[in-house]
Amino acid sequence: MDALVTLIPLMPLVAAMVIGLGHLFGLIKDEAGETITADIASWTVTMSCLLTLALIGFDMQGVNTGSYQARHWLNSDTLDVQINFITSGFNLRLAALFSVLLALVIRFSINYMHREAGFHRFFFILSLFTFAMLLLVLSGNAVVTFIGWELAGICSYFLIAYTYDRQVAVVNATRVFVTNRIGDAAFILGLGLCYVWLDSVNWTVINAATELTPGKANALALCFAVAAFAKSAQLPFTPWLGRAMEGPTPSSAVFYGAVMVHAGVYLIILLQPVFEQAPLAMAVVASVGLITAVYSVIVGLSQTDIKSSLIFASTGQVGLMFLECGLGFWQLAAWHLCAHAVVRGYQLLTAPSLMHQLRGVTATSQRKLPAWIYVVSLQRFWLDPMTDWALVKPVRGLAHDLSYFDDHIVDCVMGSPAPAIQAIASLAQMEEQLLGARLDNDYDTFAQGSGLAGKLTQWTAAMLHWFEDRFVLRGVGKDAINYGRRLGHVANRFEQSVLRPRYLVLFVFITLLVAF
Amino acid sequence: MSNTSFPVLSLIIFVPLIGAMAVAFTHNIRLAKNLALLFAVIELIATGVVVQLFNAEGNSFQLVEQHAWIPSLNIDYLIGVDGISVLFLPMSALLTLMAMIAAWNSVQQLTRFHFALLLALEGITIGVFLALDLALFFLFWELTLPAIFFLIGLWGIGSGRRSAAIKYTLFMLFGGVPLLFAIILLAVNHASATGGSIPQDLSFSLPVLLTTPVPDSLQALVFLLLLLGFSVKAPLVPFHTWLPTVAMEGPTQLTALLTGLKLGAFGIIRFAMPLAPSAAIQYSWVLGILGAITLVYCALIALQQTNLRRLLAYASVSHVGLVIVGVASLNMQGIQGAIFQLLNFTMISGSLMLVAGFIQHRLGSTEAIHLGGLAKVMPKLTCFYFLFALASIGLPGTSGFPAELLLIISALLAHPSISIAALIGAVLSAAYMLSFTRRAFFGPITQTGVKQVQDLQVRELALLCVSALLILSIGFFPNSVQKINRATAEAWLNQLMFQSTFDLVH
Repeated sequence: MDALVTLIPLMPLVAAMVIGLGHLFGLIKDEAGETITADIASWTVTMSCLLTLALIGFDMQGVNTGSYQARHWLNSDTLDVQINFITSGFNLRLAALFSVLLALVIRFSINYMHREAGFHRFFFILSLFTFAMLLLVLSGNAVVTFIGWELAGICSYFLIAYTYDRQVAVVNATRVFVTNRIGDAAFILGLGLCYVWLDSVNWTVINAATELTPGKANALALCFAVAAFAKSAQLPFTPWLGRAMEGPTPSSAVFYGAVMVHAGVYLIILLQPVFEQAPLAMAVVASVGLITAVYSVIVGLSQTDIKSSLIFASTGQVGLMFLECGLGFWQLAAWHLCAHAVVRGYQLLTAPSLMHQLRGVTATSQRKLPAWIYVVSLQRFWLDPMTDWALVKPVRGLAHDLSYFDDHIVDCVMGSPAPAIQAIASLAQMEEQLLGARLDNDYDTFAQGSGLAGKLTQWTAAMLHWFEDRFVLRGVGKDAINYGRRLGHVANRFEQSVLRPRYLVLFVFITLLVAF
Repeated sequence: MSNTSFPVLSLIIFVPLIGAMAVAFTHNIRLAKNLALLFAVIELIATGVVVQLFNAEGNSFQLVEQHAWIPSLNIDYLIGVDGISVLFLPMSALLTLMAMIAAWNSVQQLTRFHFALLLALEGITIGVFLALDLALFFLFWELTLPAIFFLIGLWGIGSGRRSAAIKYTLFMLFGGVPLLFAIILLAVNHASATGGSIPQDLSFSLPVLLTTPVPDSLQALVFLLLLLGFSVKAPLVPFHTWLPTVAMEGPTQLTALLTGLKLGAFGIIRFAMPLAPSAAIQYSWVLGILGAITLVYCALIALQQTNLRRLLAYASVSHVGLVIVGVASLNMQGIQGAIFQLLNFTMISGSLMLVAGFIQHRLGSTEAIHLGGLAKVMPKLTCFYFLFALASIGLPGTSGFPAELLLIISALLAHPSISIAALIGAVLSAAYMLSFTRRAFFGPITQTGVKQVQDLQVRELALLCVSALLILSIGFFPNSVQKINRATAEAWLNQLMFQSTFDLVH
């Protein structure tokens, strides 16, 4: 029965491929194709959903062995990345919860997105995201989990940039993805370290490792913790979540309310045995969670639109989950995660209709805040400008300087051929010579080089020229110069004819023939 | 070494060359173009046959052909394939075919000559991959130069194409000198090591030279000379400035070939490291640092680019840096990842450059300020561009990811500090790719020219589909590539380690 697990993420992947290809080649388009897209997306996710539920049933009866290995994905030396799945316990239950939530959201979106521009694109992304999330929670090794992790990130990029002709949406999407990429780099570092130290990337092996020194355990745990902070929008990465509200509401619900924002907590709970060996990492997780929770509450106080306030409530709760993990209440964190996913998903989905229902009702009591807290809250602790100042601006500046260095120094030192302007100069000089000026001036500006190598060549050429001029040419006599001129004319004519295409081709082939 | 009766490798070198001749002497332009296409297709099939004939379990050179060429100097016509080079053959054939189809209508003058040169370049490039005699290799290596010189100078799209062609030629000639010098040093060393006299006992054959012990001091010299020669072509910092210039001035189909087929990095794997094993191990940190500097330096500069072609050129250099980091780490993941990544980039960099060419052909510019909002008018082109861009930043699901993963893990195993550079590079690559995409493809349409632009033609769509399919299928099944080069990569690594311990003992 374990083999069923491969179908769970595979179904939405197939849906994404069919919708994507169909839409790309114009087979599914416009309003007429909406039902096809909607059917494909909703049926496949329903199938995945039923499969996970069935698998839970088998798990409860004790039929499952707990893991299933589909095949080898990438082998190199002792590195063996398999496509394997965990088919019992917390992973399976979380997969069931997520697939149910995703099925509901997809069903909801069919009506919500009706006649929206990009209907098909939306369901393509949502199916791909379903695949990514199910892969993430079911995978039995770090690499495949990372595949889901990163695909979920790019899906989030796509949905934030959903209205891609709006500048703000696209700027935010890029910023969010690049921020997340920092977490991804930490994840890659973590899984690389797992391979280097434990010679495996399977979660079971990593979790069973007891021979880790505290230093190594801390390093491993911290790498994964940074990845989790980035994905779950904990400090210092929280500002990206504020930018992510550009997408359509159902996607915000599923990404930042119910499913993706919990991926970080899932990762920490998954790695419980590693974290328990790493007290420093536990302390970091707990304190980051606590600070984020406080931060979110304060920032949430001054939010004026419903989506933003819900999102900051979300990060607050997720921060609490991190705190629970950090303090060692793993069970509590797991329950908290599941409960929060359901509640927040529901709240975000109903958010748009809430505005309709509450029309006419005015806010009566505005809580009074001290002015300074209000400012701090409104500015979200200046985190975005601070990252700009501390990270983005220096990198941009460095890039700018290096670019200048490359264009004006490296290129010049390496030498580049004379630009066109100097050819004009030599033309003018030729005219001068025709007029009879500077005829006996042996300083010739024709052979000009630039750059270090160019200048060296130029000087050598000038020296040789001087030698040639003084001793060889003048020694042989003025006739030689005339003779040389005639030779030059012949050479010129020869060169002109050689530069005709057919001769060029001939030349290449002669070279080839001579070579053999 | 196994010999076959039918000279299939010679065939794949000479088919394009004969094709080039035929195309050049055909008077009808339409016929010439079709002929060129036919030869390119035949070549692709023939290289496919070579891959079929190749036995992935064998760890030595296969399908070897050997004929005396210049007997007085012991220079042979010696060609063969191994797991490192075999997949480059169909990839270069495919990329040339794609470049031809992409340039089908955009080349208006001297059309026959253009297609003949592309075919000739294909034959010569395949020769570079196959040559096992150093003198023969050097011949093919230098022969790429005239073809590329004319392709840049005659059909370039920038106003400075002539000077770009000269710049390219000067750089390559400069790189050729140390190569030739190192080759002669090795041949002479063989004569002296075997106690023979100079003209009779010279040897230029790679399999022979691999078994010839080379004194340590000479190894260092040979390694640095070869490295210098190959790093100009690869290119590595600071010899990279020719590539952005060529990308701006040269025709995009040629730039696709230049960024796609990274001969310099191939040369380092095939010649520079195995021929001077103990020096390679001793100086691997130099190579690693050089790679890391190239990686981060060019990624940062790419962040600052406003033109798609220049951006792609710098991105391509940055990726070469990662490959070099992998090679320098001297482990299986590194060498396999390096080969994987080089293969990837024939598809990814090549296709991205071709997409840039499509945009250039339609709008006359790839400058971000002249674009903006392309996604609205060219959804299909944007879709493919985006897929290739994601593959280039190593997103899972595309072939870029397994290669990048292997390279980062290899760096982590060998030089942990350098792997940090690789991770920074991974973050930066997302930043430069996506921020350019944002400016050029998304946002509102600001230029009137953009509004009337046409989406992909069927011809262009088909060729992008092929590379997209390859990128995705290799991304899903990376072991299909790993299987082919595993035995050779193991042999390569063992040979390097064995030879260097052998040298140390003596």
